[in-house]
Amino acid sequence: MDLLKVGESVSLSEYLKKLWSHRHFMIRVPLEDLRAQNSHTFLGSIWLVLNPLLQVGVYFLVFGLVMPIDRGVDQYLVFLTIGVFVFFHSQRVISESTRSLVINVGLIRTVHFPRAVLPMSTAVGQALAFIPVFLVMIIVVLAYGNWPHLRWLLILPVFMIQNAFSLGIGLIGARINHSYRDLENLLPFVFRLLFYISGVLYSVDSVVEKDLWRAIFLLNPMYCLVSLWRWVMVGTSTGGEVWLATGVWSLLALLVGLSAFRSKETTYGGAV
Amino acid sequence: MTDLAIRCSQAHVNYLVRTNRQLIRSVFRGQKPEVRVIEAVKGVTFDVNVGESVGLIGPNGSGKTSLLQAMTGLLPLNKGEILVKSIPTFLGVQAVLRPQLTGWRNIQLGLLAQGLSKSEAENMTGSVADFCELGDFLDLPMETFSSGMKARLHFAVATALAPDILLIDEALAVGDRSFQKKSSERLKEHRAKAGTILLVSHNLEEVRQSCQRVIWLEGGMIVADGLTDDVIEAYEAS
Repeated sequence: MDLLKVGESVSLSEYLKKLWSHRHFMIRVPLEDLRAQNSHTFLGSIWLVLNPLLQVGVYFLVFGLVMPIDRGVDQYLVFLTIGVFVFFHSQRVISESTRSLVINVGLIRTVHFPRAVLPMSTAVGQALAFIPVFLVMIIVVLAYGNWPHLRWLLILPVFMIQNAFSLGIGLIGARINHSYRDLENLLPFVFRLLFYISGVLYSVDSVVEKDLWRAIFLLNPMYCLVSLWRWVMVGTSTGGEVWLATGVWSLLALLVGLSAFRSKETTYGGAV
Repeated sequence: MTDLAIRCSQAHVNYLVRTNRQLIRSVFRGQKPEVRVIEAVKGVTFDVNVGESVGLIGPNGSGKTSLLQAMTGLLPLNKGEILVKSIPTFLGVQAVLRPQLTGWRNIQLGLLAQGLSKSEAENMTGSVADFCELGDFLDLPMETFSSGMKARLHFAVATALAPDILLIDEALAVGDRSFQKKSSERLKEHRAKAGTILLVSHNLEEVRQSCQRVIWLEGGMIVADGLTDDVIEAYEAS
């Protein structure tokens, strides 16, 4: 009878196999959480759609009626809606998966499972929560007379790339946050800064003229993601280099994230 | 022939407790971050055979829980090694389930967490529900349950899969008399199916009822290891 040694890390393929066997758990937990989230409110799940809708409503009020500026962009409301929704989605995936180990410490201490399940299930949850947000986005896009286009077939791939990137960064975040909770306090400011330099509120192409500067923006994956989404949804022009940069960023984030996370796998849940 | 379920050899578990970890203290007050090593388990060696039920007793802080946690791989060992037939499952009292969800959904979540597939979990939900005897309460969110009812559900979920090795940390003391009886019966059944149980408890009566063998820990070391009655007698006399 062979005995296993406790506390030994398993090989990558074994690890991925275990992750796969927990796939139902990874999907079920966030689904139930979403259901539970608004269980104490009168409107219940309607809030999932109402929330982004109200958000767009505020933008319409502010930028459409009170101070109608377009910052040199056609259909500024559409531009803004796509940018904000996409940016916030990545922000949520990253910051929630960063916190996932700390929040679920009780689960870690009782049940044996590959710990990457936690950030992954968080990312799945945020992806599910994005569905109603996406619906509102489509409504806004259609309302401004942008008809469905063949490009829309690329929506899902772009969404997958975005989530792969965000999860990868979230895995790194979770590992750091496990030893230094300080990260949680820092993240909102990092995202606030990123928000202003990722072209969410303005068009980078109309502000930046030199090619060198444009190349520097490619180093900002959030800018790349926002630009890709705008191209897919309404055809705002982007170069092939944005695709390349986004792909490289996502792959890199996921690979580095997974290996960084796994290197501390056996310590999660223990004393810091 | 008896099979080994757990082989624990010269296991040492140290906690690192960092005090003065905050930067501001080290910079402005010149206090060096201090690392204190707490030796929770200091060289424990024992074997447990398949089908055995072993009680771990000892005063608070004697290293019982640390030892259990080390067996699940949660706490790293500093020296020695622990070999197991399969990774043990922890049955703790702390709730891991979601308070806003109904009992039914929590049962399914608990089963999925242990790596069951969706259809397997659905098939098992009924029998787990029967075991906890909570009736219509299962339709209500778990936050409306009393603590005893929560404990029932938790016990039922954690033991449903009959893991090879079950670690229990003070779980049986909760729940009413009839449920305690029922759970100790389930544990007996479990042992009959070649399951192994390690039970940490301060309730010596409970240990007497469910264990044939007892290990007495004190200060992270084994004081005695033997038949339940002998060890408990010595423990009570000390």
